[in-house]
Amino acid sequence: MKKSLGQKLLGTWNTKTIVGVAVGAALFAVLMNFGGIKVTTNTSLTSAYIVPAIVGALFGPLPAALAAGLGNVLADLIGGWGFWFDWSLGNFVCGYFAGLFGAFGADIEDGKFAVKDAIIYAVLCIVGCALGFGVVTPVLTYAWYSSELTITWIQASAAIVSDASVLIIVGIPLLFALAKRNAKGTNLSKE
Amino acid sequence: MDDKLFITLVPGNTFLDRLTGKTKTRLFFLFIFMLVATWDIRVIIPCFVVSVIGLLSIKPDKKKNIAITIFVLLMNVFNLFLVWFIEPDYGLKMCGGSTVLFQFTDYFIVTSESLWYFGARLFKFMASFFFSLTFIQCITPSELAAGLHSIFVPYKICMVVSLAFRYIPDITRDFTNIKISMQTRGMELDSKKTKVGTRLKQYVLILIPLIITSFDRVGNIANGMDLRGFGKKKDKTYYAEHEDTKADKYLAIVVWILLACFIALVVKKTFFPGPYEVWCPWCL
Repeated sequence: MKKSLGQKLLGTWNTKTIVGVAVGAALFAVLMNFGGIKVTTNTSLTSAYIVPAIVGALFGPLPAALAAGLGNVLADLIGGWGFWFDWSLGNFVCGYFAGLFGAFGADIEDGKFAVKDAIIYAVLCIVGCALGFGVVTPVLTYAWYSSELTITWIQASAAIVSDASVLIIVGIPLLFALAKRNAKGTNLSKE
Repeated sequence: MDDKLFITLVPGNTFLDRLTGKTKTRLFFLFIFMLVATWDIRVIIPCFVVSVIGLLSIKPDKKKNIAITIFVLLMNVFNLFLVWFIEPDYGLKMCGGSTVLFQFTDYFIVTSESLWYFGARLFKFMASFFFSLTFIQCITPSELAAGLHSIFVPYKICMVVSLAFRYIPDITRDFTNIKISMQTRGMELDSKKTKVGTRLKQYVLILIPLIITSFDRVGNIANGMDLRGFGKKKDKTYYAEHEDTKADKYLAIVVWILLACFIALVVKKTFFPGPYEVWCPWCL
């Protein structure tokens, strides 16, 4: 099935996508609370950032962004430590880019994920993290909380490094594994 | 691990529990947005008092709540210490004055304005923390969806939120089960005995089965929803939303008053900003 550019950028929206985003957000929230190692305050080396990559692979970039953003809000809610909407929106942007690699030819559901796609994915992840946590979060922190930017910068750079490394180091092998699992009939030829 | 989570699936029986999801959600978001918008201690302290009363009124589980409160308090104090460490004279920028109380070195001084700012900030963050703690413990996933729908969020997004909310306990249980079964096979997850790199690798080993089981569910749930006609109509009503009680009708007035206060705060902040962000009684 060929997808149009709009579908590639926004993802296909049907009941399955809605449930996928919900499960993704729940997974993000759980991993954010239990599956991480603290780095500095408010940031940790968490395995949660793998979720946008998976949701992006299965449903498209906008679902990935929603799963990351809503997941962060839910994580704040169930963890009970108060809200950080500036970080949630940073996650939203970061999640969008982490899920965008499907628009460049990779298709996890059909098992298409080559080395070229992995490189595109890695570049997108770095751009997304830098844009999300390096631009969106500090700007919003300043606008809403008019908080000190020095600490936000320290936290943001920690977040960029840790999240991008989780996305790349953990994400690429995982995406290869998922693509291999979904590959259908790769060794069959038409007679 | 389950007892660390704050999710109620069965509505309780206190005053706040009996309100409609609409009232709970509206009050909660208004208070949170008001706290985000202001640095004025004259607004923050009443909000703080309301949040504490709210939390006590739902008769929460004491042990769990005290533990998380202490944790959050320590984290906030540590954050404040970091601010002070990076810029000891922060009060000058925020309140517009620096009355030195005592000084360690020329750089590390303690000013009364900085302390005032830190106090305001601590109350602000603790108030928003108590509000979210109260909210999460008195609302069920379906009520949250109904409440979000009442503030004009598209119902598909509401569905995402309530579904996610509903699946968090399930996924937590799966996570615990996978972790325990990995540990019985000899995986060491103790932070003192293993290095960070090894631990991260081990989390990946937990992650793969967790992701596969979680996303395997998606097809089933989606089919179930489709069979019940989800997404066929433009709008949706909520079974969890009961009719307004008397308290809801009174609180609707409070909601309007709070909304007016919030708009007034934002207008004041945007169009008539004072010279300094934080109001401080002795340096006007």
